[in-house]
Amino acid sequence: MPESTNQRITSVGIDIGTTTTQLVISQLTIENTASGTLVPRVEITDKEVIHRSRIYFTPLLDRDLINAVEVSKIVETEYMAAGLTPEMIDTGAVIITGETAKKENAKAIIDALAGFAGDFVVATAGANLEAIYAGKGSGAALYSAQRHQVTVNIDVGGGTSNYAMFHEGKAVDSSCLNVGGHLIEFERQGDRITYISEPAETALKHRGQRLQVGERVTLPQLRPIVKAMAGCVVDVLKTSVHTELTKELLMTPPLQLAHPIRKVMISGGVADYVYALNGPMTMAEVTAFGDFGPLLGWELKVCLERDGFVLEKPEETVRATVIGTGTQSVNLSGSTIHLQENTLPIRNVMVISPFTSLIPETPQSIAEVIKKEILRLQVDRFEGIVAIAMKGPRTMSFANIDILAQGLLLGMHDYLCKAKPLILVVEADCGKVLGQCINASVNKPLEVICIDQLEVDNCDYIDIGKPLMGGRVVPVVLKTLVFNR
Amino acid sequence: MTVANNELEKVIIQSVMEELAKKGLLSHKGKDQVMAAAMMDTPLVPNTESEEMVTFPPQEEMQISNPFNADAVKAMKKLTPARIGIGRAGTRPKTMSLLRFLADHAVAQDAVFLDVSEEFLRRMNLMSVQSAATSKDEFLQRPDLGRRLSEEAVKIVSEKCEKNVQVQILIVDGLSSTAIEANIPDLLPALIQGLKSAGIKVGAPFFVKNGRVWVQDHVASIVNSEVIISLIGERPGLGTAESLSAYMIYRPNENTVEADRTVISNIHKGGIPPAEAGAHLTDVIQQILAAKASGVKLNQQK
Repeated sequence: MPESTNQRITSVGIDIGTTTTQLVISQLTIENTASGTLVPRVEITDKEVIHRSRIYFTPLLDRDLINAVEVSKIVETEYMAAGLTPEMIDTGAVIITGETAKKENAKAIIDALAGFAGDFVVATAGANLEAIYAGKGSGAALYSAQRHQVTVNIDVGGGTSNYAMFHEGKAVDSSCLNVGGHLIEFERQGDRITYISEPAETALKHRGQRLQVGERVTLPQLRPIVKAMAGCVVDVLKTSVHTELTKELLMTPPLQLAHPIRKVMISGGVADYVYALNGPMTMAEVTAFGDFGPLLGWELKVCLERDGFVLEKPEETVRATVIGTGTQSVNLSGSTIHLQENTLPIRNVMVISPFTSLIPETPQSIAEVIKKEILRLQVDRFEGIVAIAMKGPRTMSFANIDILAQGLLLGMHDYLCKAKPLILVVEADCGKVLGQCINASVNKPLEVICIDQLEVDNCDYIDIGKPLMGGRVVPVVLKTLVFNR
Repeated sequence: MTVANNELEKVIIQSVMEELAKKGLLSHKGKDQVMAAAMMDTPLVPNTESEEMVTFPPQEEMQISNPFNADAVKAMKKLTPARIGIGRAGTRPKTMSLLRFLADHAVAQDAVFLDVSEEFLRRMNLMSVQSAATSKDEFLQRPDLGRRLSEEAVKIVSEKCEKNVQVQILIVDGLSSTAIEANIPDLLPALIQGLKSAGIKVGAPFFVKNGRVWVQDHVASIVNSEVIISLIGERPGLGTAESLSAYMIYRPNENTVEADRTVISNIHKGGIPPAEAGAHLTDVIQQILAAKASGVKLNQQK
């Protein structure tokens, strides 16, 4: 091929959470993995974390507004520590999670980081996306593919437990529970309560226990409430008929448990205590970080083992999410890419999947389905760019692919009149020929991105970065995953 | 054989048949037929009406009894069409896997020995010429004959084909006629559409019967195209008999060697889907035209 068959790109992942902010810099190797006699297939073949930042407390202006300027200073410091300049960074993702996952924050971060990497993808991650990144970063996704065992990763952080279930490397289910190690705050290494969060109050109420800020507690007093919370975490894994407390603490629909769970991995801040040999013996040990994280970790292990779950140790614990963000958020894709270089990157492309079943037989009926969906979602009022996702043409015959192309052009006519690019995401291996059919049928040049062999039926938005490998592939980031289909 | 023995035999056969019929392993019709054959000492002629087609269980179905990790077997089977995870009966394959093996072998043989049908060539509007091999047998025994056109074909090609085009497309049966009929209807229109939208001048494609890859050199010497591409049936394996390859070469001559050809292989519905292959081949041909070279020479320029 005219381009080199191997390219290394430097990717940055930044995880801005409710309590902590972290950054990792990784090097991804992109290669054409198909042999010379096959259609080139560009894949990420190697991921190496070359720099891990300190774990910072998230700089906040108030309870949930991020101080973006401070974040950019952290990034600057860490770039320097890694010996990199912004020009050396090719791609990256910022994930803003938890309480801080708000639009205002995302906008401020994009502006503040503009100078550090123009092609950054900034995602305010819902709990589901966060869970999946954590599971990919912890190694649970890889484990499920290598051992062929359904693995659930639970990232237990300060405020939430994020579940992601992996089957053969793919995320198939996710959920989020409002249980974390930081729900009650204490004086460091002391026993005096300094803050009780709302979910902790809920748990206390359910147990009929009373604790108040300023009060001093003993380990026997604290243990039952932490045990109850750990019980809720395990409850979500066990059954779909939950206790009242679990129901109240669930922040998303629960796990559907469509696959029997073979292994459980715990990542996040409390993970190290799950895999410790002994639990904390004194209040000073429990509150080493001003919260009850160590005790939650230990009780979680006890609870999981009691219910017969097999724990597997993750590769990454506290850094799982940021490593997932930095190394796993990018998917490479590409087949037909006819674009002006400066059209990319495109952020927040809304994915619509108009076809719920088989694609109709004629261009007219295909167009009708698309128009109806565009009307239903009020795409015409949506300022941004949409992508049309589908499984594939009715059959893989050339005739059906051409009919699909005609139908798409017909259905998207009004949209395309606004000089927006036509973005298609197809699961079947026909991206090149579909793009070719579209280009053959238009009389003026059209900006087309036709991506194939990518499943996006679970996601609402995608970001498309600048092309790599001599324009042959684009990095694609999938966001906001929902599994309730 | 004495009569007494014969009588005894009949009794034994009868009781076995009845036992089988009772267990539902033999239909009544089948039982009567076998009995009649045994009684009359006549050879058993299979009754085509009562013969049932063997239907194979889907390939992905679990064949291993009590697998330790069924997910692992499924995942591995998904990665390859090879016969893995098929279980065993003692040291031997199970009946179904043996039958499937024999059936796949038969499909492979058909692909080699059958001809591309006249009806197909008419439907695809393809002119047909023959290589110097006059029959399938000769084609298989004499590879050299499959590498050049017959005298009659030379005449037809020089009379009917457009000369000095940029690209000439050949469809060649090679070792699998099945591959031609399975892939060309989707590949050819995609390839022609791609080349035409790129503004490349293409000669009318035609079919070469009993042809091998090198026959393209002979054709190129007559039509004088810049690039000649052969879409040719691959030697069938037990996985598929539908696999097609595309061999492309830039201005072949007497010094041409195998390394001068660019090949894209494994075109079939389980490999590179034919329509997608057509679009990809357009890219490859554009590269060859731009570089004025193919094969290793093309790769070295990159």
